[in-house]
Amino acid sequence: MDKKEKFLQKFESKIEKIIDKHERLYFNVKNEDFLEVVNHLINDLGCRLSTATGMETYHHVEVLYHFSHDESGQYFCPRVIMPDKNNPTMNSITQLVIGAEWIEREIHDFWGVNFIGHPRLEPLMIGDHPKGAERKNQFRFKRVEHE
Amino acid sequence: MNKNVIPVGPFHPLLEEAEYFTLTVDGETVVDIELDIGWMHRGHEFISEQKTFTQSIFLVERICGICSTSHPLALVHAIEDVDNIEIPERAAYIRTLIGELERIHSHLLWLGLAGHFIGYDTVWMWAWKYREPVLEMFEVISGNRNHYGMMRVGGVSKDVEPAKISELAKNLDMIQTKLEMIAKAVNDDPVLKSRLKGVGVLTKQAAIDFCAVGPTSRASGIPADVRKTDPKDAYGMVDFKVIVLQNGDVYDKLVLRVLETFESIKIVKQCLDKLAENNSPILNDIKEIKPGEGIGRYEAPRGEVFHYVRTDGTNRPIRHKVRAPSYVNIPTFQASCKGIPIADALITLAAVDPCYCCTERSLKFIDINHDPLKYDLLKISREKTESFRRQINGL
Amino acid sequence: MGWYNKRLAKSIWVFHMSASPCNNCDIEILDLLTPKYDIERLGIKLVGSVRHADVILLSGVINQKVAPRVKKIYEQAAKPCFVVGVGTCPSGGCCFNDSYNIVEKREDVIPIDMYIPGCPPKPEAMIEGVAKLIGVLNG
Repeated sequence: MDKKEKFLQKFESKIEKIIDKHERLYFNVKNEDFLEVVNHLINDLGCRLSTATGMETYHHVEVLYHFSHDESGQYFCPRVIMPDKNNPTMNSITQLVIGAEWIEREIHDFWGVNFIGHPRLEPLMIGDHPKGAERKNQFRFKRVEHE
Repeated sequence: MNKNVIPVGPFHPLLEEAEYFTLTVDGETVVDIELDIGWMHRGHEFISEQKTFTQSIFLVERICGICSTSHPLALVHAIEDVDNIEIPERAAYIRTLIGELERIHSHLLWLGLAGHFIGYDTVWMWAWKYREPVLEMFEVISGNRNHYGMMRVGGVSKDVEPAKISELAKNLDMIQTKLEMIAKAVNDDPVLKSRLKGVGVLTKQAAIDFCAVGPTSRASGIPADVRKTDPKDAYGMVDFKVIVLQNGDVYDKLVLRVLETFESIKIVKQCLDKLAENNSPILNDIKEIKPGEGIGRYEAPRGEVFHYVRTDGTNRPIRHKVRAPSYVNIPTFQASCKGIPIADALITLAAVDPCYCCTERSLKFIDINHDPLKYDLLKISREKTESFRRQINGL
Repeated sequence: MGWYNKRLAKSIWVFHMSASPCNNCDIEILDLLTPKYDIERLGIKLVGSVRHADVILLSGVINQKVAPRVKKIYEQAAKPCFVVGVGTCPSGGCCFNDSYNIVEKREDVIPIDMYIPGCPPKPEAMIEGVAKLIGVLNG
């Protein structure tokens, strides 16, 4: 709990739209401040990257990272919002966490997010199978209409 | 430098799943490893968005047949996290009971396969023989050997009948005595020790860098266990230890899994005792799920299963993210496989208990200079064990 | 062919092919080899190469990426080679029919001769299935 309040104080000006409920902390962070926040979470707090979730809504593409603080069971979830749906771009955190390589490749494969600074941004799951990629895209657009 | 590239997969005669590795070898030493995944990709996350929450539980159960409790459990935790839904005490014990029984069967399955990879088919046959009673216990409880369909949002779907509890406890005692016998045989074996000690070491720093979870990280000295740090269900109410070992090699991973199996038996016994005296209902009626976000996790036999659910107040999720433990454990091959002899590569790859169905093999070796038949990973691995056995037995 | 099939039925060698399954049928197939079910007493042996196989045990809904490989492996098999679809996935698609990544018609990729339904089928059901196949081969 203490760690969470200290974190909130430190980044008061940089994070917004904070949702805090039973040990899960979701917040929005701008792309420019994102690496600084992640650096603090990884190196100072000793968090572990669980995974990241790519999402497409009607207005934007967003990537939600999940950092787990194993000692206290607290989750820190920074969310980066990219309004440009045609060419979403954000900073990669692979220089800070090697474990983020696969998940960023997967998000690039499914949602087309370009991660700046990723060592090899190749599709992970469906990749070079044109038919699979085509059908995947159809699916993506169908989902958007739903919302 | 004479470097050769060895493609392994996608159809390997030995492992059950299709997977594609590219090993770059310099002489006998592995220099680099490349993975190509996606052979198992069925798009669970997308199908789940078209299904209701109750249907999703059946869908995520079919992500992986071995951890077919872990995924539904993590999903119901996530949905319950959205709205802070409470479950009855009896349901909590039943959930823990099923989860821990699954850990026993999964660790026995791994022990058997590990034995098979290094040419110890006796270990395989024994471990799988005593895995059968666990599956029979599942059949008694849920009606199916695998894919139990027990989890529901707000509780469990089936009750453990009080009349069956003594029978289950008796079965468990039998499994424990047999397991002690196997554990002793495995621990005392000098061949196994010399074959697995110091092989495929994953250092603590590498485990942190790759964000490894579960037995893979606990064998490298990281005491992370979701059951202790974020206790859900009955884990806060039962007594158990988190096993942590320091060396990070294949032998430590084996010992860790055997010790963990005994801890699981301890938990199952406590759950059965509690179920015999407790008579609360097993399912809370949930009318609606509020809009919001929820994270659910559960310590599967392979590590932390992570589910993220975002809801909009309807009976379907807008987004459902699944992260299986093997997804973060498999990239650790890049740290543990480099610089080891090719005969040890197979057991190192198997040591993290990779589950590709969760994450998402024809063995055909192409070697430009050598006879392709010479490079059968399984054969090389078994020959090495045989040479150790000869040395130790003085043959 | 009848003469050949009768000889085949005496000892069936099976090759196990997993085309994006959930791993459960595969574990149950391996389970058949272990002491409780011990399918080797019926002369059935799991082989590592499809070129030695008389029967292919196929499990899983075939996805777009694995489909060309499945086709290639079936072409490599010595004919006659019978394909047994194990589990609900090859027969009905299980719960994956809505997926964007699976092939539309599994029959186009590989001709399946026999289905053993169940999710996963019990080992007893698989033994019964194989016994029925032996019956068919014997005429």
